[in-house]
Amino acid sequence: MKLIPIVCAATLLAVALPASAALRVVATTGEYGSLATEIGGNRVSVTTIAKPTEDPHFVDARPSQIVALNRADVLIEGGAELEIGWLPPLLDGARNAKILAGAPGRIVASEGIQLLDIPLAADRSQGDTHVAGNPHFMLDPLNSKVVAQHIARVLGQLDPGGGPTYNANLARFSAELDGKMKEWTAQLAPFRGRQIVTYHPTWRYFGRRFGLRADTFLEPKPGIPPSPPHLAKVIQKMQDEKIRVLLVEPYQPRKTAEAVASRNDAVVVDVCQFPGGLPGTSTYLQLIDVVVQRVAQALAKT
Amino acid sequence: MNLLTLWLWPLVGLILLPTALVYFGLHVVGRGIIFVDLALAQIAALGIAVAALLGADPGHGTLPYALAVLFTMGGAALFSLTRFRHPRVPHEAIIGIIYIVAAAAATLVLSRTAAGDEEIKNLLVGNILLVSRLEVLRTLALYVLVGALHFVLRRRFHMISFEPEEAVRQGIRVRLWDFAFYATFGLVVTSFVRIAGVYLVFSYLIVPAVCAALLSSRTAARLAIGWVVAFTAGISGLLLSTQWESLDLPTGPTIICIFGLLLLLSGVVTWVRARSSARAGG
Repeated sequence: MKLIPIVCAATLLAVALPASAALRVVATTGEYGSLATEIGGNRVSVTTIAKPTEDPHFVDARPSQIVALNRADVLIEGGAELEIGWLPPLLDGARNAKILAGAPGRIVASEGIQLLDIPLAADRSQGDTHVAGNPHFMLDPLNSKVVAQHIARVLGQLDPGGGPTYNANLARFSAELDGKMKEWTAQLAPFRGRQIVTYHPTWRYFGRRFGLRADTFLEPKPGIPPSPPHLAKVIQKMQDEKIRVLLVEPYQPRKTAEAVASRNDAVVVDVCQFPGGLPGTSTYLQLIDVVVQRVAQALAKT
Repeated sequence: MNLLTLWLWPLVGLILLPTALVYFGLHVVGRGIIFVDLALAQIAALGIAVAALLGADPGHGTLPYALAVLFTMGGAALFSLTRFRHPRVPHEAIIGIIYIVAAAAATLVLSRTAAGDEEIKNLLVGNILLVSRLEVLRTLALYVLVGALHFVLRRRFHMISFEPEEAVRQGIRVRLWDFAFYATFGLVVTSFVRIAGVYLVFSYLIVPAVCAALLSSRTAARLAIGWVVAFTAGISGLLLSTQWESLDLPTGPTIICIFGLLLLLSGVVTWVRARSSARAGG
C-alpha cells in the first residue's frame, strides 16, 4: 500500500515535468512542422518524419519515427492521400490511440482546403492520381493560414492553458504572412500569365495563386516516369509556346530536366516544397521567400 | 524498454522466419546459384505487374497474389528445366538472364498500366520494422508447411542439391524434384521479400550459409551454425537500431552490416584454426 503515494508522486512528476513542452507534436512533412513551431512556440516539441529532400509520396521507415509517433500527443498530416503509402503502417507500428484517425490529436491539414485536380472518374487510368485531389496545397501561402488556424484550434483544445499563447502566435503568423504575401505578389506580378514546366504537378497551387501557368509536367501521368514520346511532346510545346523555366525538386531526376531544358535554352530551377530542402529555408515563410525569388529571377532572365 | 511493445512483431519475425531461409541458403550456396532468390522475387514482381495490367490494385485482393504465386511456379519450372547435367553455360548465367528479362518485362508491362513503378517496388521491398502480426503469422504458417515437407523428404532434397550424379544413378527424377525445390524456395523467398526487402533476404540466405561452410563440413552442424549467425545478426541489429536512439540507424542495413562482421569473424576463426592445425601437423 505504500506504493500508492509513490506511484501518485511519480505520475504527478511525469505530468508536471514537461512544463516547457506541454504537447509533443509529430508532423509528416516539414511545412507542417514549421507551422506547429510557429503556433506552439515553446509549449510544444515538434518532430518531423520526412526529410525535406525525400519524396513525400515514399518515405522510408526508421525506428525513431515509430518511437516519436508512439509518444506523440498530436499528429499533423497533409492528407489527400499524400502519405497513404507509408503513414498507415507506421501508425500500426506506433500503437498510439491519441493520434488515430478521428482522434482529437489527429490534424488532417487538407480538411477545409479547396483542392484542385479532383478526378472526375476515380480510376487508375490517370496514374498515381490522388482521388482526393492534388495534395500539394501548402504551396499556396493563403492555404497555410487555414492550416495554421486548424493547428491553433487543436492545440488549444488539447492544452487549454496554452490557448492564449496559441492564439497570439496565430495572429502574429497571419500578420507576417499577409505582409509577405504582398511582397511575393509584387515580385511575381511582372510575369503574370507566363508558363512554367514542372516535373510533377507539385506547383499547381503556387502557380494559380501568383498568376503563373504550371500545368505542363515531365511526368506523363503523376508518379509515372517520363517516357520518350511524352518528353518529345513537352520539348515541342516548350518551343512552340516559348516556355523557358523548368522547376525540379531535390528527389526528382535533374538529368531528365536538364536534357529537356538544354533543347530549348531553358533554365532548370531547383525548388523544394519543404523547409530545409534549400539553403536558408528553415521555416515555411523563408521557404516560400526563396522559391518566389528563384522563380522570379529565372523568369526575368528568360 | 519499448522492445516488447513497439518492436514485438519485428522481433518475432527475425527470430522465427530466418530458420527457413538459412536452410534454403545451404542448398543455394551448395548448388552455386547465389542469385536465384533475386530472380524468383523479380518473377513474382512481374506477376504483380501483370495483375496491375489486368486492372487489379497491386496492393490488395487475390489476383495480384495469385499471379505472383503462378509466376513463381513458372520461374521454378524454368530453373528446373535449365539445370543441365553437363552444362555448356553455367546455370548462374541463365539465372541472371531470367532475372534481367523479368525486370525489363515488368517495366514494359508497367508502362502500359497506370500504376507507378514505385508502387511495385514498394510491394517488392518491405521493411522489417513495419511488419504486422498478421504478416508474421501468415508467413510462419507457410514456412511450417514448407519446413515439414522438406523435413520428411530431406534425404531426397539433399541428394538432388549436393549429389545430383548419385540421384541420377538411383533413378530419381531430378527435374521433378528440382521443380519442387524451386517452387517451395520461391514461396519462401517471395513472402520474406515482402516483409523485409530484397537485401535482407539475400543476406539471410547467403551469409549464414557461407559462415557455416567455412566453419564446418557436416550438414547438421552447418544448419546450427547458420541459425546462430542469423539470430545473432537479426536480434543484435534490431536492438542496436531501436534501443540506441541517438544513432537512429535504419534496421535492415544495420543487420546486414552485422552479417558482414560475422562473416569476417568466421574467416578469422577459420584462418586461426587452419594455422594451428598446420603447426600441429607439421
